[in-house]
Amino acid sequence: MKLVGFMDAAYQGKASSRRLKTLQGDMIFSLEDLADQVGEKPSRAAVEEFVPQDKNQLDLLISADPGKKYGLLWGYLTSLAAERSPAPLMLPSRDYAGLELLRGTIILQEAGSHLGERMKGGKILVQGKAGDYLGQEMSGGGIIAAGCRDYAFRNMHGGYGVVRGDACKFAGLGNSGGRIVVLGSCGERAGWLMRSGSLYVRGDAGDYLGLLMSGGKIRVLGKAAKRAGWRRKGGTIRAGSFGPEAADDVLGLE
Amino acid sequence: MGRKDLSVGKQRVNALLFFSLANACLRGRCVLLYGGMGANKTTLVNLLGSSFLSMDLDEVEDLMVTGHPEQTEEKIVGFLDPRQWTSADAAGSTQVLWTAWAQSNWKLINEINRFPSGKQNLFLEILQKRKISYAGQICQPGDTCYFATMNPEFSATYPMDEALLDRISACVPAAQPDFLAGLLLSERKQEVRDLASMLPRLTSQEFSSLPENVAEKSLTSQVELAILCLVRDFTLCERAPSFDKTQLSGAKPSLGLCSGCHYHNNPEAICWQVDEGLSDRVRQDLRAFCRAFAYLLDRDADLPVLKAIAPYIIWHRTTPLRSVLERPPYFGAGKLAYVAELVEKSINRTMNERAEINLIFSRAVDGELEAAQAIEELSTFDDPIARLDFIPTLEQMR
Repeated sequence: MKLVGFMDAAYQGKASSRRLKTLQGDMIFSLEDLADQVGEKPSRAAVEEFVPQDKNQLDLLISADPGKKYGLLWGYLTSLAAERSPAPLMLPSRDYAGLELLRGTIILQEAGSHLGERMKGGKILVQGKAGDYLGQEMSGGGIIAAGCRDYAFRNMHGGYGVVRGDACKFAGLGNSGGRIVVLGSCGERAGWLMRSGSLYVRGDAGDYLGLLMSGGKIRVLGKAAKRAGWRRKGGTIRAGSFGPEAADDVLGLE
Repeated sequence: MGRKDLSVGKQRVNALLFFSLANACLRGRCVLLYGGMGANKTTLVNLLGSSFLSMDLDEVEDLMVTGHPEQTEEKIVGFLDPRQWTSADAAGSTQVLWTAWAQSNWKLINEINRFPSGKQNLFLEILQKRKISYAGQICQPGDTCYFATMNPEFSATYPMDEALLDRISACVPAAQPDFLAGLLLSERKQEVRDLASMLPRLTSQEFSSLPENVAEKSLTSQVELAILCLVRDFTLCERAPSFDKTQLSGAKPSLGLCSGCHYHNNPEAICWQVDEGLSDRVRQDLRAFCRAFAYLLDRDADLPVLKAIAPYIIWHRTTPLRSVLERPPYFGAGKLAYVAELVEKSINRTMNERAEINLIFSRAVDGELEAAQAIEELSTFDDPIARLDFIPTLEQMR
């Protein structure tokens, strides 16, 4: 039998046809699916383009463990979910939560590293301690945490950050704006390379407070350890007392 | 007594029973009954064997082999007769004492996944063959019905090899008796052995004539076309060698093969949703079981039959993408239901949306249309079969 005859018998004269629909974007059910579309290190805009509109689907993605591989993707998804949610979004402790957050509120029991990185608005509340790079490169909004590890609010441009306990090393490194309040003490090299903005420490500060700073204000109610203001080019440093080898132009509290 | 869980058009039957019956009407096919302990899988096959072979249940039970790590080829198939070396004509041909299982044309491999992986390879040769060889000697039981049973993964089971699974024509889940079935079993006064003796018996002529009766059922053109497209839908892959997913070794859709492919995440395309392609055995099994079900249900071998049976013939041979399988409504456990959805999708697409590309292709093959013009027309379709099968074929014909 000829092939045409076979096809005619199969379709019995009903030869309707339709093109396969392509580029359907609604089948993203895992971080792997999303990574297939946007890569593992995408921009926020790329993620926003593919992120499911369905709340349940978004919740499903956020509930997955991103591991190291999909941390950035997970971070963007948490921000998008928080921005869409009318109520504060509760999140588990993982890296990159609230990445580039614009609005909304995120609450965490504990936080991993890079919390609130590059955030531009909204609020993040951490009831326990946060990891490294808290609020790095943030330019708006606010973060409140019970404590944090190194490099908190590094390269901060705006917004505010409150650490209710102690901050570790390099708090406010390279800041060009924003306000940082540490209600406990901070480790060494706080305000290193600071260009603008303010750093307030209610307890003591470690060595090299305001190292190489060129602007901004640092105020420490307790004692600043050795070499405060070392090679400082601008800005002001005030502290209750100073350790050895402090710069000549640092000031005491009035 | 079992639940009527298989709908063929308006007819509803029990899948486990009817796949076993269909297999008994065919030859050289193997049906795997898959389920937890005590679901009466082995009993069912032995009861059918008793009825179809006209034998006592005890005799049929002696025909099966059961999987465990100490099973050997000698225990399963046969062994060299030691008497031949002490007898006067020791120089004669090698004598093999074949087991009853080897000589029977009703073979049940019980608990197949309790055979260690290496020993499962023995069945690669035996399944679907009409003869068994050992020590250079041949045993020819003739056309054989093969059955196997299998539990889910337990501590003493072994993974099943993909090549062996491909030789299994259909895999049917066996569930525990439901409430009413349990009640009926409780009220039963006779033993299974007594019930077996009451089953209708087939004569050996009747048993051997069953494949001929099944073969008299012809498949409709729609079924033939749907089977071809179904196998191609599962097998074609733009990134595989020769567009054939069965050629893949390390790379798979689940390991990122489809990343960036424009078919990926398209719910209408099937290629990215399963890791493995389908072999030609699937096409043969689909045709054979369509005919057998049509014979058993006394109806045409039409599309409803194909839609009903195809998932059972495909699901054990494929691994669906976990990210889709694990979402509702499958929750990682509904593999058969998910494959059934893919089958339905493929058949519906073939019958409702592929007419134009199939007609263009067939006109070009028959010489009614220039191959170049057909390629140009087909290239406007984004269907995987048009792009990856029809166009390459027509390019060779130019």
